[in-house]
Amino acid sequence: MVDALIVASGVQEVKESLSAVSSLGDVEVLFYGKDSDKADEVAKLGVKVYVLKSQHPGALFNAVKKLYDEKQPKVIVGYGTKNNRDALSRLAGTYDLPMATDVIGVEFKDDHIIYKRGFLSERAIATEKIPYPAIILINAKVFEPVQREGSGNTEEISVEEDSVKLLEIKPKQLSGINLEDAEIIVGVGRGFKKKEDLELAFKLAELLGGQVGASRPIAADYKWLPEDAWIGISGKRVAPKLYIAVGISGAPQHMAGVNNSKIIVAINKDKSAPIFKLADYGVVADLYQFLPVLIKKLEEKKGK
Amino acid sequence: MGDIVVLVKPSLNPDMTRSKPDGTVDLDAIPLKLDDIDANALEAAKELKNTLGGKIIALLLLPWGPIQKRTRELKMVTQEALARGADEAYIVSDEKLLPGDPIITATVLSNAIKKYAPSASLVLVAEASIDQTTGQIAGRVAAKLGLPFISYARKITIDGNKIVAERDVEDHIEVMEASLPAVVSVTQEINEPRPPTLLQIRRAGKKPQKTLSAADVEPIPERKKEPVEYKILTVSRKQVIIEGDTLEEIAEKLIEALEKEGVL
Repeated sequence: MVDALIVASGVQEVKESLSAVSSLGDVEVLFYGKDSDKADEVAKLGVKVYVLKSQHPGALFNAVKKLYDEKQPKVIVGYGTKNNRDALSRLAGTYDLPMATDVIGVEFKDDHIIYKRGFLSERAIATEKIPYPAIILINAKVFEPVQREGSGNTEEISVEEDSVKLLEIKPKQLSGINLEDAEIIVGVGRGFKKKEDLELAFKLAELLGGQVGASRPIAADYKWLPEDAWIGISGKRVAPKLYIAVGISGAPQHMAGVNNSKIIVAINKDKSAPIFKLADYGVVADLYQFLPVLIKKLEEKKGK
Repeated sequence: MGDIVVLVKPSLNPDMTRSKPDGTVDLDAIPLKLDDIDANALEAAKELKNTLGGKIIALLLLPWGPIQKRTRELKMVTQEALARGADEAYIVSDEKLLPGDPIITATVLSNAIKKYAPSASLVLVAEASIDQTTGQIAGRVAAKLGLPFISYARKITIDGNKIVAERDVEDHIEVMEASLPAVVSVTQEINEPRPPTLLQIRRAGKKPQKTLSAADVEPIPERKKEPVEYKILTVSRKQVIIEGDTLEEIAEKLIEALEKEGVL
């Protein structure tokens, strides 16, 4: 028996998951997917690592089920990645296990677990209680990653895929920007009338040494930017020092992705836009008039 | 071939979130609506219906009480599902099932599919709901029914007894193939749901619908999730509006403020 089984496809994910279950005892890891060659790095955190080279969700389900049956962990933990949600919701259905997703805080008590998560599209925070054994999927960047050294061993695990066939893997058109690590982000929204106008935002971001992200309409609906620029509940969650929202109204689905920013600036011509109540500094102005002025002032400063 | 079951959730409408004086969520005061991505699932069902040759069955479960107050809203959500293309609807509504717990919800829905839609060849489920957003019902139902599962589909095609779906993973697309019957969860990118026409709304009222109680969909497992507190999220930002006579002045003041904050 182990106390916790971490199911993860990245090293950082393991570190944060270890932090989430730090009050529990014995922890083992199922490490899977295309980065599974980094299993040695995970073992150096002092944990036993089972390695599954496949990224097939059915294979992951079979591997998790096998380890669950053998080890009877009290808790299964990992990020809420799509493969984790896919495989672990099936495990939950198989054994009627409670499963909490998007968890931002968790306490492991003697006979139950209390966790916090977003509710009503992030307009509220739910605190709920479930018994052991349970599945807890945490949000990225919420738990401080553990820093420790040890020596665990790795063991390859081989399972069958299920009856669903993976025929082909196709790349998505991506910008390759790593918004999660950006210190300054200029966020663009529906205030921009056409794709070419985003140039203003890129100019501003470049001057500030930042990156450009987008709300749902820009990245997912109009596809003016690649999908990995999409910030929000279903997109990325970011935590820069400075987030400048330009032409963004401030829908909760978007704001949930930027709430951890240190300072939020809003530029919007509609003075009743909800964003002004969710920002530290607001400028009520037409972005087409204000951005060129702001860019000019920043350039002057830089020139000095 | 077979029928398509679409799981439809009457969800709390987050845009109508209401709070109590103590800052907790006033659940009973928030109206229900047909969940956003369920509209995509219904649209996808409409597109696949001719290929599969069966009918579209909407299956609803009321997850929020109080039951007396929800009757009218539940009826409206059902009507909308029928107007959006379902041919008939089953509605599970029972005090014993409130408030929704994913374990109970998934079991009840699976039991209802086995009993009332035994010839279903496809079960379509939204990837997540707008109120609880737990995103786990589809996988649970697939496991309970023992059917192949494809999650996060943003494109579906059916070829004979096979379904091929493009599965939207974080940084790539996986083309998956399963044999029918299968359970598939869909994302919002799969289509643009068309709003129902007046005629479709009018016809919806004449389509068959049946309300089920907990006794109709037994056995029901033990509840495991207990609510402790639902609190409205308060964001405390400075909310300073920078004003000035000219845009130049505003820009200067903004830069100054950001330098003071140490973020430039």
